[in-house]
Amino acid sequence: MTTYLIKRLGQGLLTVFLTVSTVFILIRLAPGDPAVAYAGPLATTEQLAKVRQQFGLDLPVLEQYWIFLQQLFTGNLGTSYSFQAPALQVVLERMPYTLTLATSAILVAAIVSIPLGVWMAKRTDTGKELGANILTIAGQSMPDFWTGIMLLTAFAVLIPVFPASGFATWGGLVLPTITIAILQVALISRMVRREMASNFAAPYLTVARSRGVSERTLTWRYAMGNSAIPVFTALGTRFAAMLNGVVVVEVVFAWPGVGSLIVRALETRDYPLIQATVLVTALLAVLVQLLIDLAYPLLDPRVRLGKAGSA
Amino acid sequence: MSTTNTLPPAALRPSAVTPRDIARSAAVRRERAAKLKLWIGAACTLLVVLPIALAQVLPLADANAQDLSQRRLAPLVAGHLFGTDQLGRDLLSRVLHGGQVSLTIGLLAVLVSGAIGIILGAAAGFYGKWIDTIVSRLLEAQMSLPLLMMLLLVVALFGPSIPVITFVIAIAQWPEVARLTRSLVLVEREKPYVAAARVLGLHRINILLRHVIPNVFKQASLVVLLLLAQAVLLESALSFLGAGPQRPFATWGRIISDGQDYITTSWWMVTLPGLFIVLLVIGVNLLGDGLRDRSRRKKKEA
Repeated sequence: MTTYLIKRLGQGLLTVFLTVSTVFILIRLAPGDPAVAYAGPLATTEQLAKVRQQFGLDLPVLEQYWIFLQQLFTGNLGTSYSFQAPALQVVLERMPYTLTLATSAILVAAIVSIPLGVWMAKRTDTGKELGANILTIAGQSMPDFWTGIMLLTAFAVLIPVFPASGFATWGGLVLPTITIAILQVALISRMVRREMASNFAAPYLTVARSRGVSERTLTWRYAMGNSAIPVFTALGTRFAAMLNGVVVVEVVFAWPGVGSLIVRALETRDYPLIQATVLVTALLAVLVQLLIDLAYPLLDPRVRLGKAGSA
Repeated sequence: MSTTNTLPPAALRPSAVTPRDIARSAAVRRERAAKLKLWIGAACTLLVVLPIALAQVLPLADANAQDLSQRRLAPLVAGHLFGTDQLGRDLLSRVLHGGQVSLTIGLLAVLVSGAIGIILGAAAGFYGKWIDTIVSRLLEAQMSLPLLMMLLLVVALFGPSIPVITFVIAIAQWPEVARLTRSLVLVEREKPYVAAARVLGLHRINILLRHVIPNVFKQASLVVLLLLAQAVLLESALSFLGAGPQRPFATWGRIISDGQDYITTSWWMVTLPGLFIVLLVIGVNLLGDGLRDRSRRKKKEA
């Protein structure tokens, strides 16, 4: 168990390190000069040189990378050009907002999509299931920015029930959550349906049914018990992906999270901020992945972490 | 097969199963569901794709012709079926021309990602060993990357030209094809004909290219329609965020992001282009889903 944990943590940190390094190189490879973005188009050559020197952009790339690595291990990722504050701090201030949004979206998605998936699995090959099936396809076919604007117009402008943007009250959480949840419900409920349908068709369920096990136990204990791992994995992976910033939805609703931060950082070519955002989100995603794996033995006692076949 | 020929025709055979029972059986219902999906999907897709393909032929105003006296006209007024935007440009014409850009990018991206995915996936599945290790690691690494963020990063840094956007979408999508092809090839390479071909002295590359890949190609290519739907969505999201093809190209994402500022007074500027995207993506998804249902059943019967 401990060896397994250490091994996984090591792999995860390696992934994070490679991601951050890739981003570092990509940024430097690309055309465009952050000094121009910072000092404005009217800056003189001397001013630009001064800005470059101030940010250490005049050094050779390898030296910049070396400094960056040193910063990485001291937890100081430099000062954000546009916020004039430590980049890591700027990102960490935004993180709770993204976390709140992602958590509420995944909760809503789970609460809706699991019963919906079970409902569809029980009615395989009926007209109702086909209808639900087409609806879920429609759900995953709507561009989230468009759904967001539509919901916003309907419930914040025409019928002003919820605030249109930002996160001043808890009501502000409702519309972005629904926007994200529509897509997630569509994807996850189809997945739940597939898992449950294959379990319903399995011989062990017929045996249990013939022995008089109640339909409820069959569904929620037997079939769901055996679908728990894939369903939980799907939910967890989706959650991890959301932590990387629900970029589009955050932009539409002016949500003060990491997603809208990265868009701004890219526009202003704020190198330290880009790197800090990528570092924090990649770390979190790896952490969530690890937690998902650690939860497997709880969902299925047959799983032994670190043994062949499960690692 | 020969035994069925000796039986009398179904109508003459006494049977407790009535035609009505057959029509209600799960297999028939499934077939009907798949067919319905295919028809609805084809209808939605054609409804969007035909006008887009004919955009140059249809009697439309120029997509970029501004007329400030005709700003934000509501739909269905003379000459403007979808109304006009904030600069007096015909919205329908813009949506159709934007669709040409979106569809071109989507199709190109799917072709590129399909090619990369099939080649790498087949190589990984067929050769195994270190090739498989590398490809599988690449697939895993991409899973843990913040995808949209990386796409935005690359587009923001290398400029939003059509080749860059196409390439970026293809890179985002190849893992799906590769994973599927790899699993199909893993099954395929154990079949007797592969061993036979090797005994006959065929080179492994030849076996892979001329025999194994053609055998899995049909199944692997089914996923392409689903990828096309994703590619269109991804492109529109990128251009909504300002990382799409630049002016003068009208793109669906940018038409919507432009219209967002006028949403309270001019609902059509966001709603109609959005409905266009939804219709196309639903159509393509339904087609893909229906085809997949069908091939799955055929495989079971075989």
